Amino acid sequence: MHKTLRPRISLVLMAVAGVLLWAALPVLVSRHVVDLLVFAGIYSIAGLGVSYLLGNCGIVTLAQSVFYGIGAYCVAYFSAQHGLPSGVGFGMGALLSAAIAFTVGWPTLRLSGHFLALATLALGLIGQTLFLELDWITGGTLGIGGLPKLSLLGWNLDTPQRFYYLVWPIAVLVMWLKHNLTHSRNGLAMRAMRDAPDAAAVAGVEIHALKVKMFMLSAILGSLAGSLFAHYVGFVSVDSFGVDRSISFLLLAVLGGVHTSWGPALGAIFVTLVPEALSRFGEIHSVLFAMTLVIAVIFLPHGLGGALERLLRRKAVA
Amino acid sequence: MTFALFVQSLFAGVTNGFVYGLVGLGLAVIFRGTRVINAMQGEFSTVAGMATVLMLDHWPIPMPVAMLSAMVIGGVIGLFLELVPVRALRRRGGTEDSYLLLTLGVAFTLSALILYFVGRDSRLLPGIGGEATLIFFDAAIRVHAIWLIVISTLVMVGLKWLYTGTHVGLSMMAASIDADGAATTGINVPLMRTATFCLGGLIGGLAGMLITPLTTVRYDMGMLLTLKGFAAAILGGLTNPFGAMLGGVTLGLLETLAVGFVSSGYKDVIALSILIVIMILLPNGMLGRIGRKGG
Amino acid sequence: MSVADNSALLSVRNIQRSFRGLRVLKDVQFDIAPHSFAGLIGPNGAGKSTLFNIISGFLKPTSGSMTFDGTDISPCSVQERSRRGLVRTFQTPQIFGGMTVLENLMVGLHKNSRSGITGNLFLSRRSRREYREAYQAATSALDRFGLAHVGSQNAQSLPGGLQRMLELARAYLGKPRLLMLDEPSSGLNNDEIGQLTQALHQLNAEGITILLVSHDMELVRAASIIHVLCFGEIIATGPLAAIQQNARVREAYLGA
Repeated sequence: MHKTLRPRISLVLMAVAGVLLWAALPVLVSRHVVDLLVFAGIYSIAGLGVSYLLGNCGIVTLAQSVFYGIGAYCVAYFSAQHGLPSGVGFGMGALLSAAIAFTVGWPTLRLSGHFLALATLALGLIGQTLFLELDWITGGTLGIGGLPKLSLLGWNLDTPQRFYYLVWPIAVLVMWLKHNLTHSRNGLAMRAMRDAPDAAAVAGVEIHALKVKMFMLSAILGSLAGSLFAHYVGFVSVDSFGVDRSISFLLLAVLGGVHTSWGPALGAIFVTLVPEALSRFGEIHSVLFAMTLVIAVIFLPHGLGGALERLLRRKAVA
Repeated sequence: MTFALFVQSLFAGVTNGFVYGLVGLGLAVIFRGTRVINAMQGEFSTVAGMATVLMLDHWPIPMPVAMLSAMVIGGVIGLFLELVPVRALRRRGGTEDSYLLLTLGVAFTLSALILYFVGRDSRLLPGIGGEATLIFFDAAIRVHAIWLIVISTLVMVGLKWLYTGTHVGLSMMAASIDADGAATTGINVPLMRTATFCLGGLIGGLAGMLITPLTTVRYDMGMLLTLKGFAAAILGGLTNPFGAMLGGVTLGLLETLAVGFVSSGYKDVIALSILIVIMILLPNGMLGRIGRKGG
Repeated sequence: MSVADNSALLSVRNIQRSFRGLRVLKDVQFDIAPHSFAGLIGPNGAGKSTLFNIISGFLKPTSGSMTFDGTDISPCSVQERSRRGLVRTFQTPQIFGGMTVLENLMVGLHKNSRSGITGNLFLSRRSRREYREAYQAATSALDRFGLAHVGSQNAQSLPGGLQRMLELARAYLGKPRLLMLDEPSSGLNNDEIGQLTQALHQLNAEGITILLVSHDMELVRAASIIHVLCFGEIIATGPLAAIQQNARVREAYLGA
């Protein structure tokens, strides 16, 4: 009894310490770092969408930037241009993203492996071009500025510190949801169809429908992140929604580890803070960052999350 | 659109198509030999093209030598890529996706290096035959473009011969299909994998050398080149050299027609939409061979 | 064209299937009686796998029809057939390699639960209950199929014999009415074949109808009725002893 309790106590202690550290962070670090952490929170929400698909269903998506963009443009269009409440922007973004994910996912998710990866990449490029060409909605390269700041219960979220306290609880909520899904009927079904689709079909798993639903869920998360991004920076333009953004979402998901619920958050912190830390080496920092990625892929096969989990388990056993 | 203009843009589409095909060919070679999707195939071309530009800036070397050295540079990068990061990952048991990410990371590294040492400028190379043009149905066509098509075709035929008619080519194939089986028949599997990457690099370097006079070379052009090459290779079934070329030309023509009949802004939208439709309708590539899951 | 036998659980009528002009199945018809233990044998290339794939819904027949428990299942998907109680295993065990043995078994109960993704995300009461029930049912199946000692292991790491057992246990949890087994003994040693035979007898005794494809005469002996498929046709049906005396069967196997 005593033996089984001890690791649990230490885990609880660690969790409490983590929460305290999280709450105190905006006071402890510079405003610039808090700003980066807000971006990390936003990216981890979109990255979780990618991670849902890759970790559970084995689907590589390079289209997440499209839904990220839709979420952001909906906020710009409905809140900034038409002065509607911010909930409308979030809601329309999510609805539109889910609808597009359904329309596009239905035919394309019949593809598999590299074909599907290429198809999502093509979607990403199509989205990027449309954001540019449909400039009567998106403002093209000029973008749309002057987006209203979010306010929650009369509290104006107009500083990085305040936004930090909104974004991270949402990110944690999404992680919790992923954890729930992984340990549920459909979570099992997804991993089953990833490993052996024929046997999953015999077990009654509606493979195609499940993939489409997950693609929609992932798109909604992308859109949510995009809407938060738009409110936070107050300005949207095509540059933020290119395929390179999709690649970085995929990268942070994998870097963080797709099999843990909290991996993408680590990955997001990595891709926002590490370049910053490296910037004191001057212009060469982008080379160093890219090399860090290479090294991380080679030496951390299960991502940062997987490595950390293993470390914790060893601690708990010791 | 006048007829001359139509011929000219059609020809431009075909030329672009051969470029995509050449990149796709390199991807297909590496995939065929090692089952790795090489996300830095375009970077072979970028680095080789840029290096050739720099060499010609400083030394008065003749064109054929520059071309050969571009290929050698590509080959050496391929060699390094396989020997260092790919082998390190293989020892640790990398998954299919992890190779994709690894090569993506290497691609970022190389393009960041070019940005650091060369800068953001686009650079141009003189073409084969300089700026000379031929007149064909009133359309002006660059001699270099014709050379590009001829050389690409030769490479394609050469590869076909390599894979079907030579011991080295067959060994490469055997090493990728069944590594253990190949090893027991005395094939040096690791050497074959290295050779495969080197070959992919040589093709990539050559592609860079051929593209630069037409499109200029810039530190960030590799990614789009890889994507279009990937599209070409997949359209062709991913393992077939003829398929990659056919896929490339199809893609090039689609783009051109999209520009001609709709609007240049929607060029990529239309080409890529058609690409997706083709993939759904022809899951095994245009030549109908195996390849849905890459086999 | 003969009429389906109404008392049969599975009734296969005039099934034909060609691949690129080559007729693999010419005209297959046979019935499986409820609660029976049937075997399907035939020389290599007779079309057994094709027939199995057609009955389970992975392949469409060129022509012909099938009824299961009196209803026409020809238009049904694999999943729909499975929900009706038609469950199969595969020649090479199809296990979910990235999951534990217990989780593999829990997937077997998928079609018996209803909760949707939203309920799963937000831990609805039904979602929690179904997960708990699946966990309990899977745990008791672990014991029954001799997998208790490997329950928390990754399924990929199991030896071949246990992978077969895992597949059988997962199929059993899907509450099959007709259990179709494709070469279930390949890769097993004699002890394991003995255990498998015993397990099958037990399942049959509980009322599950079994249709077995096998080359393994030890296992085929367990079946009470045998259908012989040869060059795309059923050439004989009957108990093993009668089959062994059948002139056409001897000709097919011995080539004499």
